[in-house]
Amino acid sequence: MIKLKTENLTKRFLGLVAVNKVSFSMEEGEILGIIGPNGAGKTTFINLISGIIMPSEGLIEYKGTDITYMPAHERARRGIARTYQLIHPLENLTLIENVMVGSIFAKGHGLREARTKAEALCHELGLTGLDRDTSRLSIFEIKKMEIARALANEPEVLFLDEVMAGLNSDETKDLIAMVQRIALERHLAVGVIEHVMGVIRELTHRVIVLEAGELIAEGKYEEVSKNPRVVEAYLGGGTV
Amino acid sequence: MNRTASRIFALLFGVLAVTLPFFAGDYPLQVARNIMMYMALAITWDMLLRSGQISFGIAGLFGIGAYAAILSVVRAGMPAWFSILFAAIFAGGVAFVIGFLILRLRAMYFSIVTLALGEIFRIIIHNLHDFTGGPEGVVIQKGVVFGGKANSLYWLVLAGLAVAVAASTWFEKSKIHFALTAIRNNEVSAKSSGIDIFRWLLLAFVVTSAIQGLLGGIFVQSYGFATPDAVFSADFTLLPLAMALLGGVYSTTGPIFGAVLLGLVSEWLKLKIPYGHLVVYGIIIVVVILFMPQGLRQLVRRTPHGADGRSA
Repeated sequence: MIKLKTENLTKRFLGLVAVNKVSFSMEEGEILGIIGPNGAGKTTFINLISGIIMPSEGLIEYKGTDITYMPAHERARRGIARTYQLIHPLENLTLIENVMVGSIFAKGHGLREARTKAEALCHELGLTGLDRDTSRLSIFEIKKMEIARALANEPEVLFLDEVMAGLNSDETKDLIAMVQRIALERHLAVGVIEHVMGVIRELTHRVIVLEAGELIAEGKYEEVSKNPRVVEAYLGGGTV
Repeated sequence: MNRTASRIFALLFGVLAVTLPFFAGDYPLQVARNIMMYMALAITWDMLLRSGQISFGIAGLFGIGAYAAILSVVRAGMPAWFSILFAAIFAGGVAFVIGFLILRLRAMYFSIVTLALGEIFRIIIHNLHDFTGGPEGVVIQKGVVFGGKANSLYWLVLAGLAVAVAASTWFEKSKIHFALTAIRNNEVSAKSSGIDIFRWLLLAFVVTSAIQGLLGGIFVQSYGFATPDAVFSADFTLLPLAMALLGGVYSTTGPIFGAVLLGLVSEWLKLKIPYGHLVVYGIIIVVVILFMPQGLRQLVRRTPHGADGRSA
């Protein structure tokens, strides 16, 4: 079942076309890799879908509803959640309070219920010391906290923007397993931006490739990684 | 301040505030009224600051409330106690309307516009001579609350302070705390967690403005007159700001603590060197800013260690 799709989605910043007529769709239970060289428009694409910026043209449809110009907070309430490439902890709230925010505002839970739900989420992701300030957390813990905060929205579609960046190989392995389990148990559609190809190969069912704002290929990682156009665009020649 | 210390302090302060009229003379009572008035304003300034918005418009909304109260009595014959309520509603209404225009602004742009608005209100009232009495102001001939009795007026100001403390506590203990803190820390994250930023900013702006208007109403009813220069005085913006900065921002107890300290020091200085208290305010603002290298911005973006509003 298609959860989310875009048609000819376009974003222009003055003269620059950051996202150019991208059409794609995501199914329930699918983990989709979004890859492409730096500046290809991957994050802009997610920003458009989550409503952080508004498109210049095109259509975004979520569960059959046109959400193209819907405000970001409304999309969050309807079930589109995301994390950010640059970590965004709410530094004047504790770990548990950070996670509660999504539950309180996206789902409208009361403080007590939000806390119970946030505790369960933190437990699921292996987060402990829940009353710590965010300044006392490791990078790994902050990344997991941001995933927990996104999951507190109880989303149906989740985007992870370079969530593995800055983690060591053990932590990466942990997080891959975690994301797979989360997606499976919640029947989520997950979009993953990642630069490490090993992560994309292990984690995703399908990938789309952006270059200079255009979607140039899509399919299974194994196919796409052999596509000459992708190889050239993404790596400037050579092998993946 | 840790939790226990601030609770003990709050308790002591509360007991003192309630028992003061039973043993203190007229002069200390007058000083206490003054301090409590500024304290309440400091609390409301801090409440909005928790969203990251620095307002310099306290005097503007205070003055609006003051004139709403006095004109509703003098021109429309409203009962005195009701005029104070009307002041709150009117200031809240004004904030609601201008909130739609100015709550898109952030940081210094918001601050400057609030400062300008206060000045615009003052000029309007200054120039609407026939209705507002112009620069000479308005005097209530009869119908001052409690006939101007000092003890009763003390209770009235204390009630105004209680409203501010109650509202501030509500902001701290409810989901409003999460909304405002998230907005202050990171608006993009806040949106992604389903927070309707404009709605929460508007709520905070209207509630704090209504209380500032209420206090303006209490102020004119206590003294029985209003002039533009008296009720739109920059003191009503600067002193609460200095008090909150001194006591510690993002909490209820911080501004209370700062107001007591600064209020008493300035009263003592007023006796020693007239107008010297103004120098002290200036020095406090300078010192506070000096020891926070990024100035006000640092206050907004992060809380210094040990001065965390959440635990105070």
